[in-house]
Amino acid sequence: MDKRERIKVLVSVIGLDGHSIGAEVVCRILMDAGMEVVYLGIYQTPEMIVRAAVQEDVDVIGISSHASNYGQIIELLELLKKNNLRDVCVICGGTIPNHQMDELKKKGVAEIFPPQSTSESIVNFIVSNVKREDVS
Amino acid sequence: MKRETDYGHPIKALYTPEDIGNLDYKRDLGDPGSYPYTRGYYPDGYRSRIWTQRMTAGLGSSRQTNEVLKRYREMGQRGGMLVICDRTNAMPIDPDHPIGRKEAGVLGWPGASLLEFEELMDGIPLTGQSITLLGSCAMSSIRLAYIVALAEKRGVNLKEVHGSVTEYPFCTTFGQTDAQPLDLDLKLWLDSSEYIVRNNIHMRSGILSQHFQESGGNNAQALAVEMAMLKELCTLLVNERGLDFDDVALLPYELVSVGSRFFEEVAKIRALRRMWAKMAKETFKAKKEKSCQLLISVHTSGRTMTYQQPLNNIARCAIQTLAGAIAGCTAIDNACLDNAQAEPSALAARMSLNTQHIVADETGITDVADPLAGSYFVEYLTNKVEEEAYKIWNKLEEQGGMIAAVKKGYVQEMMKKSAQEKHREVERGDRLIVGVNELVIPLEEDYPIPIQELKSGDSEDIARRMEEWKKTRDKSLLKEKMGELYSDAKKEDRYNLMPSIIEAVKAYGTAGEIMGVIRKARGLSYDSLGVIDCPFEFN
Repeated sequence: MDKRERIKVLVSVIGLDGHSIGAEVVCRILMDAGMEVVYLGIYQTPEMIVRAAVQEDVDVIGISSHASNYGQIIELLELLKKNNLRDVCVICGGTIPNHQMDELKKKGVAEIFPPQSTSESIVNFIVSNVKREDVS
Repeated sequence: MKRETDYGHPIKALYTPEDIGNLDYKRDLGDPGSYPYTRGYYPDGYRSRIWTQRMTAGLGSSRQTNEVLKRYREMGQRGGMLVICDRTNAMPIDPDHPIGRKEAGVLGWPGASLLEFEELMDGIPLTGQSITLLGSCAMSSIRLAYIVALAEKRGVNLKEVHGSVTEYPFCTTFGQTDAQPLDLDLKLWLDSSEYIVRNNIHMRSGILSQHFQESGGNNAQALAVEMAMLKELCTLLVNERGLDFDDVALLPYELVSVGSRFFEEVAKIRALRRMWAKMAKETFKAKKEKSCQLLISVHTSGRTMTYQQPLNNIARCAIQTLAGAIAGCTAIDNACLDNAQAEPSALAARMSLNTQHIVADETGITDVADPLAGSYFVEYLTNKVEEEAYKIWNKLEEQGGMIAAVKKGYVQEMMKKSAQEKHREVERGDRLIVGVNELVIPLEEDYPIPIQELKSGDSEDIARRMEEWKKTRDKSLLKEKMGELYSDAKKEDRYNLMPSIIEAVKAYGTAGEIMGVIRKARGLSYDSLGVIDCPFEFN
């Protein structure tokens, strides 16, 4: 892997969900914190997200969810495992009910940020959970 | 804490007659029922007509949504029904599409065919209440075709059906997305609108600031965007479709998002009535008074409903409902209790309908029209939000109007910046939200609320049903109607596709098929997601 100084985050909305403004606000927060952000936008399938994650060699995948499309988040986790991308940290944000949060975390989502989460909490979590040692 | 309006104008501790020194009662307000209608459209307010009290329905199959609608009727929802379409239908693709089958029935009703509409409306009258179907712009003409076809099947006079099933072409820019290009959305919207106006059908079309504002836009921007959209869309119907403005003016309705900043929300709605009345009279030279009265409904603001301590949302919903009612409106539907978690549960629906009934029956609000008129503060805010909105609207006009401003990304950038600023205001503590940045408790200490969700497998069941049902249709009739639609869709943009869409719907063509055939005729891929091929062959 190339050495690089900045943490690289892929942000995407998954499935047919069209609510993109939350993802766009988070992109700005991460860029302001000095991270490199790849924003895929809406209508992304798990396959498209994994392909982009490989091409862009990202450290973190952030999925914004507003539409109870959790099944596709789980598909994404499985695809990442299949492609041996275990080091990529997956986080989610959005209107995900409490019990679904527990389910998704059990399946491997590292953290879930409900609406109105602070910029600080998102940035701090990413900084302390990126698994690659060559990224500071 | 910031003492500013939501659009950043400083608020003083006291307002006096000097703050509204230039206010001329007759010119700027008028009695309720007279131009410029700042005070509303009825001389005796809600005594003439109480607002329609309604609640959003739509989750799972058509049968499930039908059950919910019937339950709402038992809860006192008689004036109008409101159904939101699911994510597949917004696109539109069919529930049996490989990607659609993962999300059929998610966030709404999968209204992909006349069959689904028949099931949705089973045992529910088409007349005597307003029928409102929300979703995306792309589906507008197909939803209108459902109404036409079902009225015909039931032997109901189409002219007796009222409500709104069509939606403006910009919603896709503001989060209510479909997968169609703007020029196609615009064409289909103009087709459905022209059909409604020419046939004197009492259906409205939603030209809404709600999506823009719920995505983070502020009050002054919302007014500006709403006016810019109304102006351009009405102009197109008059100039390109040759319609009379006094007929066109009966088409639009506006859904205003009402948040908790009580006085500013009341001012916003009062200003909007005045702005539309002036545009109707001065720009469009309206000849009828009715043309100067924009139909305005209220949606209590989903984005203000917090994920944290959801029971607090009951209070927010009540404050916002009262603001909407005081401002004067035609209908209210509530984002409420569980809005940040899921689709409304039965508990949330009852709470929210009852909130409206409590406001209507117990507060005295329906006794008197426009009760806040003459308040130095409210009149000042009404003038101020209007003044700021005109400035922003002028900038949109400098971009070349709404369509040009959207194509340049100008409106999207404005909305994004406003959303970011709102987020920062909360982070800095400039704006306090109880349970979010004030009086916070750990999530696990929140009182649990019921969550209404789809069961896993529900989407797949909807998909399989559609797959099986598709095989039972009259194939030769379907092929014939799709062929006619295909050749009509190849004609110039001003050729109205409504008649051939209605025929295709009556032959049980599905939303995905109809949109696919129109796309194909216009040189686009049949499937907007590029996954499936066209099942029809055309010569």
